[in-house]
Amino acid sequence: MSASTSTPMPLGEQLKRRKPIVFREHHHPGEELGRGLTTFQLMMFGVGATVGTGIFFVLSESVPEAGPAVIVSFLIAGLAAGLSALCYAELASAIPVSGSTYSYAYHAMGEMVAVVIAGCVLLEYGVATAAVAVGWSGYFNELLDSTLGFEIPASLSTSFIPGDDGVATGGLVNLPAVVLVFLCMLLLLRGATESARINAVMVIIKLSVLVLFIVIGLSAYNADHFNDFFGSGIGGVTAAAGTIFFSFIGLDAVATAGEEVKDPQRALPRAIIGALIIVTCVYVLVAIAGIAAKPAEFFGTDEAQSAGLSQILNDVTGSTVWGTVLAAGAVISIFSVTLVTLYGQTRILFAIGRDGLIPKKFAEVNPRTLAPSFNTIVASAVIAVIAGFVPSDYLWDTVSIGTLVAFSVVAIGVMVLRRTHPDLERPFRIPGYPVTPILTVLACAWILIKLPGITWAIFGIWIAVVVAFYFAYGRRMAALNHVSDLEEIAESRGDEED
Amino acid sequence: MGALLVGYSPHRDDLGALDLACQFARSDRVGVHALSVVPQGWPTPVAGDTDRELQEWAAGEGSAAAAAAAQYLATHDDVQGDTGWAAGRSVPQALLDRARSLDASLIVVGSGVQVAHGQIGITSKTDRLLHSSEVPIAIAPRGYHAEPGTRVNRITLAFRGDDATRSLLHRVADIAQRTDASLRVVTFAVRSRTMYPRTVSGAEDMVLTALIDHAKAEQAQARDHLHHLGFTDNTLAFAIPVGRTWGGAIDSLDWDRGDVLVVGSSSTHRLSQVFLGSSSSKIIRHSPAPVVVVP
Repeated sequence: MSASTSTPMPLGEQLKRRKPIVFREHHHPGEELGRGLTTFQLMMFGVGATVGTGIFFVLSESVPEAGPAVIVSFLIAGLAAGLSALCYAELASAIPVSGSTYSYAYHAMGEMVAVVIAGCVLLEYGVATAAVAVGWSGYFNELLDSTLGFEIPASLSTSFIPGDDGVATGGLVNLPAVVLVFLCMLLLLRGATESARINAVMVIIKLSVLVLFIVIGLSAYNADHFNDFFGSGIGGVTAAAGTIFFSFIGLDAVATAGEEVKDPQRALPRAIIGALIIVTCVYVLVAIAGIAAKPAEFFGTDEAQSAGLSQILNDVTGSTVWGTVLAAGAVISIFSVTLVTLYGQTRILFAIGRDGLIPKKFAEVNPRTLAPSFNTIVASAVIAVIAGFVPSDYLWDTVSIGTLVAFSVVAIGVMVLRRTHPDLERPFRIPGYPVTPILTVLACAWILIKLPGITWAIFGIWIAVVVAFYFAYGRRMAALNHVSDLEEIAESRGDEED
Repeated sequence: MGALLVGYSPHRDDLGALDLACQFARSDRVGVHALSVVPQGWPTPVAGDTDRELQEWAAGEGSAAAAAAAQYLATHDDVQGDTGWAAGRSVPQALLDRARSLDASLIVVGSGVQVAHGQIGITSKTDRLLHSSEVPIAIAPRGYHAEPGTRVNRITLAFRGDDATRSLLHRVADIAQRTDASLRVVTFAVRSRTMYPRTVSGAEDMVLTALIDHAKAEQAQARDHLHHLGFTDNTLAFAIPVGRTWGGAIDSLDWDRGDVLVVGSSSTHRLSQVFLGSSSSKIIRHSPAPVVVVP
């Protein structure tokens, strides 16, 4: 294709234009990708990436919506996440380029879809970083209180915007969350990376404190708390599933590792389903332990809003020791979650910048630090503002909506690609086609329609802004407009491992 | 252009710095001045002249060291060398003072005994020199040896493509032409480790690709500039060594006898004399060839 045109391309054609798949002829030296990962390792990788994104905070948001039936909400969200991950895995294996959902969409479904997905993914990672930072702030304050006996005052640790209930917060800015985001920014600017080993340590910390919570929570088991199990109705259960969906983000990380396993066709679904089962079990047990220990009404209180799990442990044991241990574990591991999510955000911006849909400046690498500095600073600044001023109530639903829409598009993309490119080599083909992708879309749609109106409004405005920006900027500046030699847009395969 | 100043200590059992200085001097057709620094007595006169013995001992040490250096320099008979000693409370300060009075163009030092053979070490004295010197500092790897008659054949410049290294390029190009050495311009591309859990696949390869593209563009500009200055493709080479670590990237280049690596100290302008820069110090630590650090 030679798209080196002086006259602009017809709009319809450009919106449908797909980025061709070209690989660099000269691969970077270094070992070729070892297909070394076993199914078990991959599964643990998925567990590590997933556990901890939301479970430390999500009960206080979802239990008021669903009551004790929040357990069912976890199952629904898990099912949707698992199906989505399977679809994602097929798309990732059919298009072996580096990147995220955005990159796959650009190659498979064209520029317009890619732009929308870019909006969704930026929302997913950007807002998730902010949400996690806000949650961290709560546990950090709890830890300060129980170890040093003082707290950062509410005016400096809560946003001034009232939450869902509309009650004034008495806050100004969530300073700890802002500071956390900037700390992570400094680490990324210095080119710091979190290695597989640190990640393993973090996973152990996260799982240990969750097991601690489950054991202590169940010791205070009170069956009365499960009365009126479905009191909030199916609507409440689905709404809670939407909020909870956020805590399954990370499962898709398994999907992009298809290149690294020996037999993707067998290993990928096993790893995804295995990770899903482990994660869902942990989450459901945490939910059961939480509800067993405390009546559903407790989760709606201000006390439960920040550092909810710690509070429950304190109340159950009558001592602050275990709550402090849990808060310490949360503070350490959520720090790493924030770092990794922020990192993901910068690299996605990098990919979009490289394609010219946002200014190329986002794809520049600082030759001194070998890290994309400009990109990291801009992304961190925006996220810090969100973390500082937006209450968590709005954040989690917003992350979920972005992710759910992106995953629905992925599932549709799998079906589209099967029809348009039936001969494409697919190391992993989704089992149960076409039922599985259809089921994925339905599951995502079911959760989506129950998300609150304000979330839809935020999402709609954001996507409108993204699309408007595309027409104002990206449409003219897209790298594909100026390609004369395909090597220019060639990319490395997504096959690194350290 | 003044002579090259060598810091020499007979107790260090390492003649690498002298060899390296002679190699440079031969290429640049200048002389070598080897300086040994001995302890200084008290500057205020002491009653009864009690530290006269120390001063006498120091003078004896100094002249013995100078004689030893002169004896070794004589093996490089085509280089005009002289030796001397100075009393000072700080070895680096004495070297800096002497460099100023001689109008030296370069200070040459060894690597100390803390590193393995063939490696470059930055001793506390070298560190002080790097912080304060206005002239470049050359560091010989431990146990460096250059046969009499050896010259500098090729200068490898660590080039990052920012303003600081561009001005460095200009100065090094000048030296390369004066000494008839060929010039190799390299930009090290070191890939960061992947962040785990990995949410975006291939992210660091993507960043590395951008880095390499940037380096290529900068090097192409540098090539035009150097051709303009009279370099030909025979005397000029470019490379973008890629590695997962600095050591790996440096090892992927070929290194011969007669190679010298030049790095800038740091691009942090006003602080340029104080900090070596994290990249430079990593390069120096892994360099198999003598290194010249330019302030």
